[in-house]
Amino acid sequence: MRSLLRQHRYALAVTLRRLTASPISSLTNLLVIALALSLPLLGASLLVSMQPVARQVSVTPELTIFLKTDASGTAAEHLAGRIRKEHADQIAGVRVIAKDRALTELRNNPAWEQALKVLPGNPLPDAVVASLTPGDQLAERAEALAQTWRKWPGVDLVQLDTAWVQRLEALLRFGRIGLLLLALSVALVVLATVFNTVRMQALSQREEIGVARLVGATESFVRRPFLYLGSVTCSLAALIGIGIARLALIPLNDALASLARSYDAEFALALPSTWMLGVAVVSVAVLGALSARWSVQRNTRF
Amino acid sequence: MIEFQHVFKSYGQGRSILADLTFKVSAGEFVYVAGPSGAGKSTLLKLIGGLEPPSRGSIQVNGHRLDQLSNRARPYLRRAVGVILQDTHLLYDRSAIDNVLLPLAVTGLAPSIARARARAALEKVGLSSKENVHPIELSGGEQQRLAIARAIVNRPAILIADEPTASLDIDTARRIMSVFKDFNRVGVTTVIASHDDALMAEYATRAFKIEPGKFADSAGQRAPTYKTVSNQKPHLHAAAGLPSGETSR
Repeated sequence: MRSLLRQHRYALAVTLRRLTASPISSLTNLLVIALALSLPLLGASLLVSMQPVARQVSVTPELTIFLKTDASGTAAEHLAGRIRKEHADQIAGVRVIAKDRALTELRNNPAWEQALKVLPGNPLPDAVVASLTPGDQLAERAEALAQTWRKWPGVDLVQLDTAWVQRLEALLRFGRIGLLLLALSVALVVLATVFNTVRMQALSQREEIGVARLVGATESFVRRPFLYLGSVTCSLAALIGIGIARLALIPLNDALASLARSYDAEFALALPSTWMLGVAVVSVAVLGALSARWSVQRNTRF
Repeated sequence: MIEFQHVFKSYGQGRSILADLTFKVSAGEFVYVAGPSGAGKSTLLKLIGGLEPPSRGSIQVNGHRLDQLSNRARPYLRRAVGVILQDTHLLYDRSAIDNVLLPLAVTGLAPSIARARARAALEKVGLSSKENVHPIELSGGEQQRLAIARAIVNRPAILIADEPTASLDIDTARRIMSVFKDFNRVGVTTVIASHDDALMAEYATRAFKIEPGKFADSAGQRAPTYKTVSNQKPHLHAAAGLPSGETSR
């Protein structure tokens, strides 16, 4: 066991020696991989930051129930009471908007003022607005409730306010798939860069590999420094990539803050959690080691 | 220690280098392999070192049949065989001691013990004052001695060397041969290929002579008197105890 640990220590020392032996080349490789990795990191930042917004807006979808125009004056209150009674577990709140109040509000809007003046009476119906309790499958639940309420007497129309939430969710789903494809592309870039780096190293270390085999080195001993080269390069590149993404977020967030302020809102992009970044660094290191293993296996057959 | 049974070696299509070679070298012997260039001396050493497989026949080294040895086990056998090739194959980007440390790093020996052993090996070949010097700064003889230090640092049971004294002046050559002899005295089986018959005669206890179509073995006689078995075409056959053919020298 100790002997194996010593061999690993030796391999790591050889790796660091090889990395520092050609600093410009090593640095260039690190930067290429780091820049490539910073792109999906920025994409992940966008998705991670958007998710709470989507969650927040999707917990308050509303359904508006319009009553028939000839419905009695108490029909809306009666309907609101029935909703509270029969769907208490699914409803967060119910409010009645009387047709007179709706007309007043509409008259206050200059765009409608003139049009409403020519109408003989109030064309608006009484309405009941029901907001749903937060939870999973909101769209499905809202649709089911709308189906039920449409059948109730006096109800003319049930309007779902979940369509735009669905659009936002679809947009996020699109973003996730896009990010996945971007991550796959970057993985290919990392794979190709490490493969080529290790190939060049293996060719330049041909003599050393030959001598090591001559004095009884196992293939694991020969390959180990290359595996370390792949994983160390990728780990360092991932850390630099995180740094680049963090730096890029500063001007992006400044620009976003101005935009958000114009909507009286606050929004900023943030990198994924430390735990997720840790997983990303380890995954990239493993990818680097696998790529190095593939390369060294192909390029040390002599 | 080393046993060849009807070993054939050819390269490409039909170009036979060694054919039907049978011999046995016991532990502690000092064997000198002579012969003209291209006769197959280096090939013979590479076969002993497991650096090349035979085309046919079986080779047993240090108790292991090489043809039955798995790829995983082969490196462990190589650790028991110290190899010095014609080209020293030193690593020029590191110091003399780092070159000698490589075989010990391969075994995973503790660094303090490894360094002590590497220093002892350098001292044995007279290079202790040059442990931090890079091979490029060493003379041809010193490089050769450094290669010997690297080969013996793992305390191999067998030492094989291909033309270790080639292109060296006679004094340096003798010094190197003395190093080999010292190891042989403590029981290391030594097989050396060389063109220098006179020098080898001073140190070897047994000699093989390889010529195209012929293989001679001095076993059982005062070295270096060869028993030669003539062969038809590339068919070589000789071994200790086999009926002898003509006697050369």
